[in-house]
Amino acid sequence: MSVENTVTTKTSSELVNRDKPIKVKPLNKVTIVIRLTLLSLVLLSIYGFLTFDYKDVGLIEGIAASIANFRVMFTEAHFSHFNFLEGLHQVFITIGLALLTTLIGAIISLFLGLFAAQNLSTVRVSNMIKSFVAFIRAVPTVLWVLIFAVSAGLGSVAAVIGMTFHSVGYLIKAYSESFEELDEGVIEALRASGANWWQIVWQAVIPSTITYLVSWSFLRFEINFGVAVAMGAAAGAGGIGYDMFMASTFYLDLREVGTITFYILIFAILLEVVAIRIKRHLKTV
Amino acid sequence: MTMLLELHDVSKQYGNNTIALSDVNFSVREGEFVSVIGPSGAGKSTLLRCINRMIDASNGEIVFDGVNALGLKRKELRNLRTKIGIIFQHYNLVDRLSVIENILHGRLGYKSAITGALGIYSREEKEQALKLLNILGLEDQVYKRSDQLSGGQKQRVGIARALIQNPKMLLCDEPIASLDPNASKVIMDYLKDISKSMGITVLINLHQVDVALKYSDRIIGVSKGSVVYDGSPRHITKEEIHHIYGSEAGDLIMDLGEDTDYAG
Repeated sequence: MSVENTVTTKTSSELVNRDKPIKVKPLNKVTIVIRLTLLSLVLLSIYGFLTFDYKDVGLIEGIAASIANFRVMFTEAHFSHFNFLEGLHQVFITIGLALLTTLIGAIISLFLGLFAAQNLSTVRVSNMIKSFVAFIRAVPTVLWVLIFAVSAGLGSVAAVIGMTFHSVGYLIKAYSESFEELDEGVIEALRASGANWWQIVWQAVIPSTITYLVSWSFLRFEINFGVAVAMGAAAGAGGIGYDMFMASTFYLDLREVGTITFYILIFAILLEVVAIRIKRHLKTV
Repeated sequence: MTMLLELHDVSKQYGNNTIALSDVNFSVREGEFVSVIGPSGAGKSTLLRCINRMIDASNGEIVFDGVNALGLKRKELRNLRTKIGIIFQHYNLVDRLSVIENILHGRLGYKSAITGALGIYSREEKEQALKLLNILGLEDQVYKRSDQLSGGQKQRVGIARALIQNPKMLLCDEPIASLDPNASKVIMDYLKDISKSMGITVLINLHQVDVALKYSDRIIGVSKGSVVYDGSPRHITKEEIHHIYGSEAGDLIMDLGEDTDYAG
C-alpha cells in the first residue's frame, strides 16, 4: 500500500526532473504478486528437472528415441488391420458422433440460452440455469460419458448422451453471453412498438447474434470431434478412436497409429477451413 | 381541439430516495409539436418512457387517447404501444437486417406471435414501408444493411419504423444528439413536416435550446424531475431558460444558442 501511495503522489514534473529512468508501469501490489508467482514457478521447474528420477534413460537418448518413433509413425505409415476406405468410414463415424452431439446440444442450448440471458429473462431463472450449467461444465466430458455408461452401458449411447450434456453446458454459457452483448436499446425499440417476447427474439436477438452463435457452435463441433476420437478409445464409442486404441495397445503398431493420426489431422484441418469460410460468409451477408 | 395526452401528478421514484419525476402535470393537444428541455439527468427520458410504460410511473395518472395507461393489462398495453412511436438517440436498429426489415419491425405490435416472429408481412404493409422510404428519401437504400447507413439515414429509418405503426403520437428521445448539424436539420424538418402533414403529435426531448425554440409549438422545461416552464417558445425569457438549466450554465447556453448549432 505504501509503495502505491508514494507513486501516485508524485507529480509529473517531479518524475521528469529526476535522473532515474521514468517508469511507465508503477510498482504496485499486483505487479509484485505477479512477478513473485512467475519467479517461484521458474524455481520450481528448475528444482523439478534436477530431482526427477530418470532411471537409466539419458536425456539425449530419450529425445533421440522419441524422434525415431515419430519418424517411423509419420514416414512409414501403413495400413495393416483396415484399408483406406474402412479407415475413412471410421472417421465419418467419429464425425457423425461429433455432429450429432453438437446439433442436439445447439438446439437445446438455443432455447435454454435465451432463458439464461439476463436481458431476456428474469434474474432468478437466469441465475438458476447459469449455476446449473456451471455445475455441468465443471465435470469433464469423459466423466459425464462414464456416468451415463452406468445406465446406458459403455458404448456409443453413453457417449452421445454424455457429450451432448457437456456441449449443452458449454453452449448455454456461450449463447447466453452472446445474447447479453446485444444492445439493450434494440430490445427496447421493439418492445416500445408493441412486439412480444418471441417476436423480439426471432426478429432482433437472433439476427444480431447469429455470427456468434455459429462460430461458438463450430468451435464446440471441433472440440466434440476431438472428444469423439477420445471417446472411441475410452468408452468404446467406435470410430477412428477405437482403431487408434487397438493399434496402439493391442497390435503395438506404430505405423498404423501414424496413419490414423494423418486421418485425424487432415479432417481437423478441413474443419478449420470450413469454419473460416462460414464465418467469412456470415460477416459479409 | 381535444387533448391527446394528459399527465396528472405523475411521479417516479427509484428505490427509496432517488426521485426522477415529482408531480408532473401537463397535457398535449392533438397535432401539437412539444419540446421538453432541461439539463441531463433532469428526468426527460424517464418522462418520455413513462408515457408508453417502458418505465412504470410510481404515482399519478397518464391518460392517452382517453385511456388511463397505468391501469392497462398486458394485451391492452401492447395495443397502446402500437399507437405511440418512439425515436431514439442511438436509432436502435437491428444492424444486421436490411432497411426494409427494420422498418417492418414497426408492424410487429399488430401481428400474432408466430407471423411476427417469422417475419411474414402482408403486401399492404410492404407497400406502406416502400411509401415511407420514398417520403423519407431512402428509396435507394431499401435492401442495404442498416449498419452501412450514415447516422442521419439511420435516424430516418428509425422515423419510418415509428411511422409504419400508424401512431397517433411520436415520442423522440434526443433524436439529433448524435448527429451533425446538417443531418440534425434534415431530421428536425422531417419531424416538423410529419407532424403538420399527417397530424401526428410529437413530444420531443432536446438538448439544443435553439432548435427547440425554432421548431416547437410549445416548450416544457424540466428541472430536477419537475416541470418548471410550460408555454410558448415565443414568450420564453432568458431568465426562464436560466431557471430551467440552473444559473451557472445559463450564460453559456444562451450565448451559444443564439448563433450556432451545437451537438450534445
